[in-house]
Amino acid sequence: MTKQIELSGVNKYYGAFHALKNIELSIEKGTFVALVGPSGCGKSTLLRSLAGLETISSGDLKIAGELMNNVPPRKRDIAMVFQSYALYPHMTVEQNLTYSLRIRGVPKAEAKKAAEEVAATTGLSQLLGRYPRELSGGQRQRVAMSRAIIRHPKAFLFDEPLSNLDAALRVHMRKEIRALHDRLGATSVYVTHDQIEAMTMADHVVVMKDGVIEQQGAPLELYDRPANKFVAGFIGSPAMNFVPATVGEDGRSLAVDVGEKQTILLDRQLEPGRAVIAGLRPEHLHFVEPGQGVFRLPVGIVETTGSATYITTSTAAEVTIVETSRRAVKTGDIIDVSVRPADVHIFDEKTGLRV
Amino acid sequence: MSETNRNRLMLVIAILMAAIYLFPLYWMYITALKSGSEMFATPPSFWPSEPQWATYGFVWESRNMARYLWNSLIIASGAVVLITVLGVGCAYVLARYRNVWVDIGLFLILMLQVLPASLMITPIFVGFSQLGMLNYPRLAVIIAIAAKSMPFFVVLVRATFMAVPQELEEAALVDGNSRVGAFFNIVLPLARNGILVSAILIFMQAFGEFVYSKSIIQAIELQPASVGLNSFMGPNTNEWNNIMAYATIYVTPILAIFVLLQRRIVSGLTSGAIK
Repeated sequence: MTKQIELSGVNKYYGAFHALKNIELSIEKGTFVALVGPSGCGKSTLLRSLAGLETISSGDLKIAGELMNNVPPRKRDIAMVFQSYALYPHMTVEQNLTYSLRIRGVPKAEAKKAAEEVAATTGLSQLLGRYPRELSGGQRQRVAMSRAIIRHPKAFLFDEPLSNLDAALRVHMRKEIRALHDRLGATSVYVTHDQIEAMTMADHVVVMKDGVIEQQGAPLELYDRPANKFVAGFIGSPAMNFVPATVGEDGRSLAVDVGEKQTILLDRQLEPGRAVIAGLRPEHLHFVEPGQGVFRLPVGIVETTGSATYITTSTAAEVTIVETSRRAVKTGDIIDVSVRPADVHIFDEKTGLRV
Repeated sequence: MSETNRNRLMLVIAILMAAIYLFPLYWMYITALKSGSEMFATPPSFWPSEPQWATYGFVWESRNMARYLWNSLIIASGAVVLITVLGVGCAYVLARYRNVWVDIGLFLILMLQVLPASLMITPIFVGFSQLGMLNYPRLAVIIAIAAKSMPFFVVLVRATFMAVPQELEEAALVDGNSRVGAFFNIVLPLARNGILVSAILIFMQAFGEFVYSKSIIQAIELQPASVGLNSFMGPNTNEWNNIMAYATIYVTPILAIFVLLQRRIVSGLTSGAIK
């Protein structure tokens, strides 16, 4: 596997503001990488640096093995899909698609043929003569995608391309973009603030916060073994429950501070008496018969979605439980809940790092 | 008062205000057609009894208006070209960069707009005289007008450029264009409407410019129509019909342009004309 994009020690400053901090990232050819994080975490800055729309302050940025630090965007051979689509309003769909080809001096007939081919694969054939203002949101999105794929670039960069679409279309386009990526054998970098988008689409997820890469890896790796409390809370929906806890004297049990102190067993040995944070995913908490659970919890709010029921407890540290058994519960009930020792995530109380 | 009645009242008020505002224009048009005795009749007549169409031909010939209007056209066109070429670049930079220096620049530009021409003319005249520019009086006036009207143009066109999303330029850069190419290929076509409208407004201003032309251009054969109109009037003038005919010939083309392009001008000023 060849490395298509390599970043080492990349920093970006805006005046005194440190937007990207020592970014290390290498992307193999053909992978779909998602950059995910809350707004202001630097994911868009990182993408724009890859495109050449921002110059990095230090470090090395390589595309297909070539150092690109000071190369202008037009010489990087990358394509970008913008959040607003950025279609040229004064050009028809066909002119939008062929713009990059025409700049490179591709003959007119050839460019037209390329546009027709791409339009056929993205379902735009009937719309080539239209102007962007005459298209619906979904169609504009397709034009933006087609404009990117027409010239077979070294990498595709996506800047939250689905955030302007309605929920149903977004789910549909998610699959379409991924299918397109697979068919073209492309290398894609996809920025999103939606962790579900990142998890469902990407081979490799990069979680960022305040300009730092908090963790990167395969989607399930991030879900199963989050490196710290931030990643644990960010990946997964509904979000992971965090409750304060203390390691028992034997080092193999955890006194969890939820409702009355309750004890859960561990599958690993920890330093006795250590104060930690226990992370419990809502979907890993299960109903059990009275007396057999590790928790006895009073029910606060019950939300029904049909496929699952979200139960939020009325304890001081709220705990959310996802239950699919359709067992009837109502506010005020006391429920017994259990969790497998392997599903308990433990984080350091101060640093938030995984223990 | 009901909604419709209030709307009607507002409409009546609007028409009344417009009538007051446009009355001098109306008066100009009818006076030009009146005969000598009708002009001074009391009470005044509001419609010429025997329209004197010959007045126009007489004034055109006797005042040599073709020459005056030609000079006006040269001066106005020269000023518009100069302002457009220099102002578009300036407005673009001011629209795309935001820092303290840009803010200071904008402030200075707006301040220039406040200074009246009659105040500026003395230093300009002295400066031009030192440089020997007074030997090319029409060029001198063009430069003076350009300096005077540039801020107005820059402020208007800057707003137009700001309405062009920066992402479009970035898309063009990623698509393979250079910064300059993206400007000419993407930004300029989208800002065309706003630039055109601003240029027309500048043209109309420059076409009627008086203070600089009167002060700088001494030779009658180089003077524009505004100065010609002024020299028509003296302390003992009584040929009002001829003067009004002159004024009519002078302003009607400008009015016609404005009426024809009215919708475009208004929409170009209020929105960036980009959807």
